[in-house]
Amino acid sequence: MTARPSGAGMAKKIARGFFYSPKVAPYVLVLPFLISFLVFFFYPLISTVQMSFQNIAGFDEVRFIGLQNYANLLNDRFFSAIRVTFLYTFWTILILVPLPLFLAVLLNSKRKIGAGFFKAAYFIPQLTSVIVAGIFFRFAFSDSATALINTIVAAFGGEPVQWLKKSVPTMAVLVTLCVWRWLGVNIVYFLAGLQNISPELYESASMDGASAARKFLHITLPGVKPTIVYVITISVYGGFSMFAESYALFGTARTPGEIGSTMVGYIYQQAFVEARLGFGAAAGMALLLLVLLINVVQLKFFNAFETEA
Amino acid sequence: MNKTMRRWDIFRVSMILLLSAFALVSLIPFYFLLVSSFKPGVEMVRSGISLNPHFEKFTLDMYGLLFSPKESNYFFWYRNSLAYTGAQTICGLALTSAVGYSLGVYRFRGRNAIFVLVLLVMMIPIEIMMIPLYKEMIALHFFDNILGVVLPFAVFPSAVFFFRQYSSGLPLELMDAGRIDGLTEYGLFYRIMLPLMKPAFGAMAILISMNSWNSLVWPMVVLRNSKKLTIPLGLSTLITPYGNNYDLLMPGAVLAVVPIVILFALNQRSFMEGLTVGGVKG
Amino acid sequence: MRSDKMKALSLAVCVLLLAVFSACAPAASTTTTAAVTTTTAAETAAAATDATTAAAPAAGGGDPVKLSFWTFQNAHQEFMADAANSWNEANPDRPIELEIGVYSYDDNHNNLLISLQSGTGAPDIVDIEIGRFANYLKGTPQLLPLNDIVEPLQDKLIMSRFENYAKDGSYYGVDYHVGVPAIYYNTEICDAAGIDIDAIKTWDQYAEAGKTVLEKTGVPMTTLEVTEHWSFYPLVTQKNSDWLGADGSVTLDDASNAEVLQFLYDMMYDSQIAVPAPGGFHHAEEYYAFMEGGGAASVWMPQWYMNRFTDYMPALNGKIAVRPLPRWEENGVYGAGLGGTGTSITNQSKSPELAKEFLSFAKLSTEGSLKTWTMLGFDPLRWDIWTMDEMKAPNKFTEFYGTGVFDMLVTLKDQLHPIHVGELYPNAQTLVQSSVVFKVLSEKSMSPQEALDAAAQELRAQQ
Repeated sequence: MTARPSGAGMAKKIARGFFYSPKVAPYVLVLPFLISFLVFFFYPLISTVQMSFQNIAGFDEVRFIGLQNYANLLNDRFFSAIRVTFLYTFWTILILVPLPLFLAVLLNSKRKIGAGFFKAAYFIPQLTSVIVAGIFFRFAFSDSATALINTIVAAFGGEPVQWLKKSVPTMAVLVTLCVWRWLGVNIVYFLAGLQNISPELYESASMDGASAARKFLHITLPGVKPTIVYVITISVYGGFSMFAESYALFGTARTPGEIGSTMVGYIYQQAFVEARLGFGAAAGMALLLLVLLINVVQLKFFNAFETEA
Repeated sequence: MNKTMRRWDIFRVSMILLLSAFALVSLIPFYFLLVSSFKPGVEMVRSGISLNPHFEKFTLDMYGLLFSPKESNYFFWYRNSLAYTGAQTICGLALTSAVGYSLGVYRFRGRNAIFVLVLLVMMIPIEIMMIPLYKEMIALHFFDNILGVVLPFAVFPSAVFFFRQYSSGLPLELMDAGRIDGLTEYGLFYRIMLPLMKPAFGAMAILISMNSWNSLVWPMVVLRNSKKLTIPLGLSTLITPYGNNYDLLMPGAVLAVVPIVILFALNQRSFMEGLTVGGVKG
Repeated sequence: MRSDKMKALSLAVCVLLLAVFSACAPAASTTTTAAVTTTTAAETAAAATDATTAAAPAAGGGDPVKLSFWTFQNAHQEFMADAANSWNEANPDRPIELEIGVYSYDDNHNNLLISLQSGTGAPDIVDIEIGRFANYLKGTPQLLPLNDIVEPLQDKLIMSRFENYAKDGSYYGVDYHVGVPAIYYNTEICDAAGIDIDAIKTWDQYAEAGKTVLEKTGVPMTTLEVTEHWSFYPLVTQKNSDWLGADGSVTLDDASNAEVLQFLYDMMYDSQIAVPAPGGFHHAEEYYAFMEGGGAASVWMPQWYMNRFTDYMPALNGKIAVRPLPRWEENGVYGAGLGGTGTSITNQSKSPELAKEFLSFAKLSTEGSLKTWTMLGFDPLRWDIWTMDEMKAPNKFTEFYGTGVFDMLVTLKDQLHPIHVGELYPNAQTLVQSSVVFKVLSEKSMSPQEALDAAAQELRAQQ
């Protein structure tokens, strides 16, 4: 072993130095993502873009048809799917932000109320598969007068509701299913946010004689703002990619009168049930553009990039 | 003093009542699943889910069916689900923590661009590119095996997002101290920063494993052999347009939930702490 | 540290679970999946034993040839597993090993589409439901023509059922049944109302009888599907109409289809002798419970619906009479055999000839055809079987319905015509289900002609 490195050893050493330099290390660390992005995302995405300009009729007839698929997207069923998707996302956000925040504030209280049990109880629905949840919800919200929910409706003097036959009740069931599954998770996120707020802030506010409402508005709410942003972000993505809930509830991708068909449901229906692969790809591209647009608006709105830079 | 005490108690009781009402809603489906799983499928068809449990019709026969390995692949599905979930979680944690850490701690060119790509992956439903992805799996020999299930989604974007948020709150002074001690960049990550991120690991382990355990769409495409399916896929074979097999569906659904609930109950406190401590920071 | 403890504990539990399940899983390789029936536990056990033994290679012969088969119906799985057993007994020199995969309805069809599209991964033999079949005939079909096993038997087969799966003169699928349209009367209710079900020959007479039933018993005459097509479609075929023409053109907006829809609408909202099927269609759990409790006096569904009564509505045992469907005019058109699943052989099969021979053995041979009745409760594709004594041998169906069903069906065998399964068929069916019947009969938001026009327009835009 000599102290003087050989030529090859030198190159190796330089390579090592390069590999270990603080300039390069971050790239090495994000490499898994970049590889996975290129292989499992970018490449198939490009193929999808290509397909969206084709008419794939059958297995060996592929024809370039320009923007025809995109023009065909302008139809009522697709618009209905966009409407359902927007409404669903809107309602889930409207409920899944304030409600878990409220419950988290209660659970965060210093009084002994068995918070551990409640946290677990709210979280458990998240552990089940949509398939399992769908079985229960389909039965609970069944048309018949003896079904669970209609029994409760009757107890309050209401008529049995045909839950999955009309658009408003269907949306209510879909949102309920979503809230049931995600409430506990969002509570935990909010609890995390709440614990980052310094208790002294509350103490000094109490000494100033601030009411509970004032404390909530001026201390709690600003304190959990990052959590609210995060929860809204994941809810938007969750809402726009929703399909499994509808599928599990109706047992098929097709819903009567399109009342529960989402954009992803439409893509699935077109690509697989009706075997229009090119058209399905175009619908996918439309969804992609729509989500990108919303994402840009949202990021601008919340300034998510301005993290303690 | 006494008066205020009583006022507090009323407040506390009403809080508990309110919280209990929500807890009831959260848990009641499990009660009904459990009750239904002890009744023959034809009962499920006949009376659905109603308030009357019909205890007189209880039987263990369907569990017997599920547990006789010759008659059902349930055991295979279970074992597969455990294996896929384990692999996905370990692989996912190792990769996403590094990516998230790099994005959260370092300032480098293209950092924001990469983060936008993470968000992009996070929001695109894979349904739109299933066919090219399927062809790729076959070309890579990932088809119908664990690699095909795990690898395409190993770099789980939400976890990257979370680790990025989490690590951006880490004390950067420690890195400088570590550099002075002669640690390389990777040494810094592994020796100093990683231990600090432990709570985030706990949280993401849950997130990734829950996602993997319940994932439906992708495994459906990439798995083919009946003995390689997962529990959600297996259960979905019992649902057909011309009648569902409730005899096996209900006990199968119950058993799919029970172990993960037990696991959760045993580790509940640590689970929660992980998620809570790893909370979202601005 | 707590988090270490947690990790250790979770790991321990995982390992334990893994160990338990690996140990419990059978070491011997069984090639069938969950062998289950939709009926009783006892039957499941019996069928499962059959299914597992199907995998066992026959003694004496060479190495069994592996054939893979996908289906979405557990009942079909048992049927084919049984057929594989019989094949191995009958052909000890050419044993096969049938590897059966049971998937959900959507997985089965989607995965087949993807596999054929990408040229790899498809099975030898596959079940394709009639509503999806046209998807696999687009362009150059990736399925093998089955003419050489079908044509030798054509004077014994209900050939209209093969036209459904044909393109350019080649037959690509073998169904499990004919699916003769039929009507199921609840004799208890009909007797209470004092109507003679055998005197009902036309839809007008049916509607009149319905009024009597409603008046005397307060029970509706029938239920109508509002989210599927089984109430609408048989009556459409009785008008010699269809969603599509023989050339694949869209005929959904034909005036005769609107007349049928109007007739259904009037039964529901004018004379009120019909109610929407609880749950929306005749396979909903709510519906089974409703019918089992004597909710309606009759329902029309194809012959294969017989096993829904035996499986899901056992309380009606002995109370259901199966009769021919009424017609628009006495001795008018009877209609088409409906529903079905075509079993096909893909062009990716490595042993196409053997697969064909096995398919023929399983479904077209005398024994195979007979078993479509005894095992599955279907009306076999071979009408010459219908008059055999074996068809009257006691089974759960003869016990439920008596032995006269096939005596009735055989009078109808020459009156069935094919439906037109053009390229747009899956789209047309989806539109009828989720749009046309739903909007007219459930939402009442569109008139029959409006709904049909809108759907037809959408279909034509896709051509």
